[in-house]
Amino acid sequence: MSPLDRSSPPASGVPRDFAFPAVERRTAAHDLDLRIGCMNRLPMVSVNLFMRAGEAALGSAAAGLGVLTADTLEGGTKKRSGSALAESLERIGARVGASGGWEGTSIGLSCLADRLPEAMAILAEMVFEPDFPEAEVARAREQQLAQIRQRRMDPGALATDSARVRYFADGVPYRRAVDGSEESIAAVTREAMLGYVDANYRPEGGGMIIVGDVEPDEVVEMIGDHFGDWSGAPASRPDFVVEPATRDRRLVVVDRPGSVQSEVRIGHVGAARSTRDYYPLSIANMVLGGMFTSRLNLNLREDHGYTYGIRSRFTFRSEAGPFQIGTSVGNDVTAPAVREIIKELQLMADDGPRDEEVAAARDYAAGIFGLQLESAGQIATRITQLVVFGLPDDHFDRYRDTVRGVTTEQSAAAAARHMRPDEVQVIVAGDAEIITPELESLGLAPVEVVVAES
Amino acid sequence: MSQLSIPFERHRLDNGLKVVLAPDRTVPVVATNLWYGVGSRNEVEGMTGFAHLFEHMMFQGSAHVPKNRHFELIERVGGTLNATTWFDRTNYFETVPSNDLELTLWLESDRMGWMLPAMTQEKLDNQRDVVKNEKLQRYDNQPYGDWSERVQKLIYPEGHPYRHTVIGSMEDIDAATLDDVGSFFETFYVPDNAVLTLAGDIDPAAALEQVKRYFGDIEPGGPIPTLPGNPDVESLIGQTVRDHVVADVPLPRVIMAFRSPSYGAEDFAVAEVSQALLGMGRASRLYRRLVRERQVAKGVVTYVYPLLTGASMFLVWATGYPGGDPEELERAMIEEIDALAEAQQSEIDRAIALTETDLVRALERTAERADLLSMFDLYFDDPGRLNRELDRLRAVTLDQIKDFAGTRLVADNRAIVTYQPETSR
Repeated sequence: MSPLDRSSPPASGVPRDFAFPAVERRTAAHDLDLRIGCMNRLPMVSVNLFMRAGEAALGSAAAGLGVLTADTLEGGTKKRSGSALAESLERIGARVGASGGWEGTSIGLSCLADRLPEAMAILAEMVFEPDFPEAEVARAREQQLAQIRQRRMDPGALATDSARVRYFADGVPYRRAVDGSEESIAAVTREAMLGYVDANYRPEGGGMIIVGDVEPDEVVEMIGDHFGDWSGAPASRPDFVVEPATRDRRLVVVDRPGSVQSEVRIGHVGAARSTRDYYPLSIANMVLGGMFTSRLNLNLREDHGYTYGIRSRFTFRSEAGPFQIGTSVGNDVTAPAVREIIKELQLMADDGPRDEEVAAARDYAAGIFGLQLESAGQIATRITQLVVFGLPDDHFDRYRDTVRGVTTEQSAAAAARHMRPDEVQVIVAGDAEIITPELESLGLAPVEVVVAES
Repeated sequence: MSQLSIPFERHRLDNGLKVVLAPDRTVPVVATNLWYGVGSRNEVEGMTGFAHLFEHMMFQGSAHVPKNRHFELIERVGGTLNATTWFDRTNYFETVPSNDLELTLWLESDRMGWMLPAMTQEKLDNQRDVVKNEKLQRYDNQPYGDWSERVQKLIYPEGHPYRHTVIGSMEDIDAATLDDVGSFFETFYVPDNAVLTLAGDIDPAAALEQVKRYFGDIEPGGPIPTLPGNPDVESLIGQTVRDHVVADVPLPRVIMAFRSPSYGAEDFAVAEVSQALLGMGRASRLYRRLVRERQVAKGVVTYVYPLLTGASMFLVWATGYPGGDPEELERAMIEEIDALAEAQQSEIDRAIALTETDLVRALERTAERADLLSMFDLYFDDPGRLNRELDRLRAVTLDQIKDFAGTRLVADNRAIVTYQPETSR
């Protein structure tokens, strides 16, 4: 071996080829999209049941019903109380969690592979025979109301929630909190939950994804036994067009007297997952604020020491979700931090990323993709994304090549189209008395001070 | 019931660096994981928070690695990296495609051997600001953000190395100098005070050669100084101690802590299983009784800190509802903790089954394997303990749990921090 030269980093070795695990699409019930991935590295299995019962399909009066219904599935079935249900699952080491979101409702299950038959029977019981006992519904409601209260007093959540209503126009579901308001949650009843499940926990548009140490034929039989008669489509469907609340730049201070730091959110309406700019825009965002070595983080953290960290993100949904830059900064540097963020955003929108930045972001995206295919749960999550967004089966097989094909010009064009510094809403949750004067002197936009409701 | 068998081999370089190699060629990923035997417990008076500040400085470059280059190089290959500081140790880790293993060895060895030439006052000032912002963001500007500081002061006596928090005091951070960085480095960041684990897609023989090549010529250090203060404590606090906080918090919260056996003690496993009976999963005692049935708590959490020095902390916390009475919550918690004396074998079985699922799930991740192997080697000189984790917990008996509840989870050993929202007064 030659003597060690420490002066420059060692070259990469030859990469080992690694394919996305093979996924079989099988039929066990007519309307159910069943996908099975075999991984036998450890005796584990992860299951995702995705149903297109989402908050985006609900009107504002019912906001949060989908989320709360999913939360309350653990409250019991026609055969078992909530405690008995938890006991049946945990006795065999099965972890089950249900959660509602904008796109749909997911029930996740993970357990040792030899416990799957028992766990799957209980999962089916939760989907087809939920009971929603009054006491459990009341508890879920109270827990959610307390949660809403907690969010209002958490500075980061307060800033995020205050920003959302400044991005989206009235009537756009994404303008509200995904888990409902005090009014809509207080109105949820057992009957509403039973009705919601009956109408919307349907297989069409969703999928059952099973990944782990399994035999596909056995899985098909098992799913046929429990879900074979399941049919139909969810009754509620999304029906809205995303519009911004405004196209004027605004700056809002959400006053938290005594706050020792400012939570900053800067953003506007972003793009849908279906945008043709998905890849180049993702790359441009990585350069702006999607990696540790992004422009924003190197500027605000490593050069100026304004913050512990800063990120920017496009939240891609079926319709356009938010584009947002988020950070928390000291009171005394709040205004300069906002100034630097706007400056970086403007630079990216005007000039786009440089060649070497695009190359670095592409390599990062392509490399980290492979790192995140280790566990059954990670693979199941990826496959679920195919179902949620209607992506082709070979999407992940082509992912790395697609990312590597993104050019600087494409990224710059995507940044120019989807990053609009003139239209950003700047929301700062902090001590207004301390931070407002200097924010006003930035001259970005008229400053509006609002009181944080409590 | 499965038997864990994560394969690994151990080596030790001439300079004292311990090396654990855990090959698993199924995915082309390698985790490089380095644990140093230094944490906040090693901080002398006036230097609280320094171990963590130092961790930040480790990313500011070394003799052959300019500032920010570490992040750039790892992100460029699609890798992830981070570091954490804790009471007993500090760990640094990268996960990268396996053809870039050598890059991680180059980076880690450069800062283990040649960090100081790259240190400047400007970098120290910058990271001091970053750490101050970290404290503001994660502790000072958070409802309940000071809970740990309050609990530690109740559990540990004056002079105990766990009496202060890992994040430390900002006055001490302000007082830190470049000389402090230098002497801390020379004292603690030495190969004979570290464990390096490589897990994942490696050929052990080739990997060992590379490790020797990069780390072999780093000089060993001197003896590690004995811990400051007095690590010895009585097994019980001796009375119920309290801290009642009226603050700008959304909901009442009661945090109950008990002095418990240290991580290395025989009966630490009893504490772990007791904790699981009380709070792990939705069939646990506290979730079932306090959250589901009595509905006095919105949520409960139980946890035992795996701490090495003198005594650990057994935590039970419950968050109430708006307008809820913290005293009622506290009484309910005590009733249910006392009721642990009536536990059944089936509850132990449930706890073990859940723990098994969680552990196997964790081991699916190469980085997690590497981290656990490093920990067991640094703490117990025994990485193979990973494969015996479940046996250790399975050996816990019902009688031991009842005895533990009756001797440790008692009024004489109880620290209670209560948060009451200002507005409910």
